[in-house]
Amino acid sequence: MIARDRNWLLIFAICVALAVVYPLFAGGYQLTVIRDALIFGLFAASLDFFWGRTGILCFGHAAFFGIGGYIMALVTLNDAIPFGSLLGIIGAVAGAAFVAAIIGYFLFFGGIRGSYFTIVTLAMGVICQQAAVSWSSVTGGDSGLIGIPPIEFDLGSLHIDLSQDLPSYIFVSAIVAVTVLALWSISRGRWGTVLTAIQDNEVRAAALGHNAPLRLLVTFVLSAAIAGLAGALYVCMAGLVAPDLSGLLLSTEVIVWVAVGGRGTLLGPVLGAIFIQRAQQTISSFNPSLWPLLLGCVFVIIVFVLPDGILSIYARLKALFKGGRRAQ
Amino acid sequence: MPPKACSPACANVSPVRPDAMDFVVTTLLNALTLISILMLVGLGLAISFGLMNVTNLAHGEFVTVGAFAVYFVQSMGGSFWLGLAAAPIAGAVVGCILEFAIIRHLYSRPVSTVLATWGVSLILQQGLELTFGLGAKPVTPPIEGTLDLVFTVYPAYRLILIGIAMLTLLGVILLISRTSFGLDIRTVIQNREMAEGVGINTRRTYAIAFTFGAAIAGLAGGLVAPLAIVLPQMGVNYLANAFFVVIVGGVGSIGGLVAGSVFVGGLTSILNYQISPSLAQAIVLLAAIVAVRLRPNGLFNGASR
Repeated sequence: MIARDRNWLLIFAICVALAVVYPLFAGGYQLTVIRDALIFGLFAASLDFFWGRTGILCFGHAAFFGIGGYIMALVTLNDAIPFGSLLGIIGAVAGAAFVAAIIGYFLFFGGIRGSYFTIVTLAMGVICQQAAVSWSSVTGGDSGLIGIPPIEFDLGSLHIDLSQDLPSYIFVSAIVAVTVLALWSISRGRWGTVLTAIQDNEVRAAALGHNAPLRLLVTFVLSAAIAGLAGALYVCMAGLVAPDLSGLLLSTEVIVWVAVGGRGTLLGPVLGAIFIQRAQQTISSFNPSLWPLLLGCVFVIIVFVLPDGILSIYARLKALFKGGRRAQ
Repeated sequence: MPPKACSPACANVSPVRPDAMDFVVTTLLNALTLISILMLVGLGLAISFGLMNVTNLAHGEFVTVGAFAVYFVQSMGGSFWLGLAAAPIAGAVVGCILEFAIIRHLYSRPVSTVLATWGVSLILQQGLELTFGLGAKPVTPPIEGTLDLVFTVYPAYRLILIGIAMLTLLGVILLISRTSFGLDIRTVIQNREMAEGVGINTRRTYAIAFTFGAAIAGLAGGLVAPLAIVLPQMGVNYLANAFFVVIVGGVGSIGGLVAGSVFVGGLTSILNYQISPSLAQAIVLLAAIVAVRLRPNGLFNGASR
């Protein structure tokens, strides 16, 4: 096991341990705050899985989050459908994956990469939000849908009811931990290595026999499916779904979470999501329109000062001191 | 906040007389209005995105700034035409600052350009909102009333808009094909290193071309201001459509730009008769994606992307 993997697992273990002991010290409200932040962390990890490994930026990832959320809401609010929560989650994941598969097929097999991909996904996000606003007979329009019940289902003999704070916190933490670990194993294994090869030089990777468009498509679909899962979890915890969940601002924020946390680390984006949302709540309590302004500044600062995210400060400091020693 | 209700670039005018000829002419003119706007916005994007390989997500804000310039001049008591003169200047100033402060440092880092220009776009939107306050800004057209065109009557201002857009396009074609600066641009596009080798200041050429594109987008914003809902967030709508124009049309030629504008603008305008604007937008997006899949190098030219 190489040192980088060991470090990652160590940080992951620390995070899990913190998540386990947190309920001992936190009250119900604080638990729900962290729980919601963790869901957005899962969303950030899903973007990072695609962006971090392929180098292609998806600018409309909130579309998948929103699609998952709306499908979950529509399924659980419909009394005629039995096992609403379980079917809703499956539907949310499948719906997001389906949309990603269609769009991804045309783009990846059409040779669309880089900036072109970013632009088309940006437009996709804009259109998803418009659709959510204007298709009001189904989506509830601007005000969205309210009264979405908490997740509740039977797993064998185990009855899972997430209407209380602690069970929902544990459920979400477990899902986030398992998903992040799974994504990490995928991306450090052969699959991730091939993706890195495609990112470095797609022609060469194709010449070595790798079906680059298919690999990119599958990665994109998986990433979208997890975003859909995050959306489904979120609307059940929040109890409502609104067009903002598929909007451009959320698509933008998730990019900041990933960029600040460190692209390609999977764990960094989760932490980035938690800390930045904390900051957002504090700042928005002063003045709600201040946040997008600051968000814009954060984008510019990241690009010029910290292109590898907050976690890179440590590595940079290490290099700085190392360089000093060598000079003596 | 994100735009709540993204209005289409401009709404359609309904035919007045109930005969087929009227319907056809009105539909064509409606489409032509939208195509003209998209062509102007897409022109700047074709320069930055298509030729300089810079993905500028703040391009929509040039349109917004142009529209706000007209609003500002009108609210200070100036005429619409004065505002329309101010619009490209405002766009150029913002574009020039953006190029100098950010874009020229990121030519070799495409993803960073996307992030940084998006940040600038958010800052500009919020800056406009903090300066001018919430809510849509009223802009009155310089000419009310309609013009009788034998087959139909059509709002006079829209005809002026189409005329100005066509003249601008003609001017740009002349600039690129007939002037020494146009020659510089064409040289830099074909081969940047070689252009430097023969003594062209490529940085300066890029900066001027970028500023020029921003000015044209500002002009488009000024022109569309009386027809559109003037909001700080209005730019993103034009941004997405203009990118489609450039992607579908293919980069590198005015012909591609026109083809892309006709495809996106014409389709949107015609679909808006039948279905809601959002659905029309979605269909145009899908059509654009399919078009790119079938003709990866653009509808018009065979040059590689």
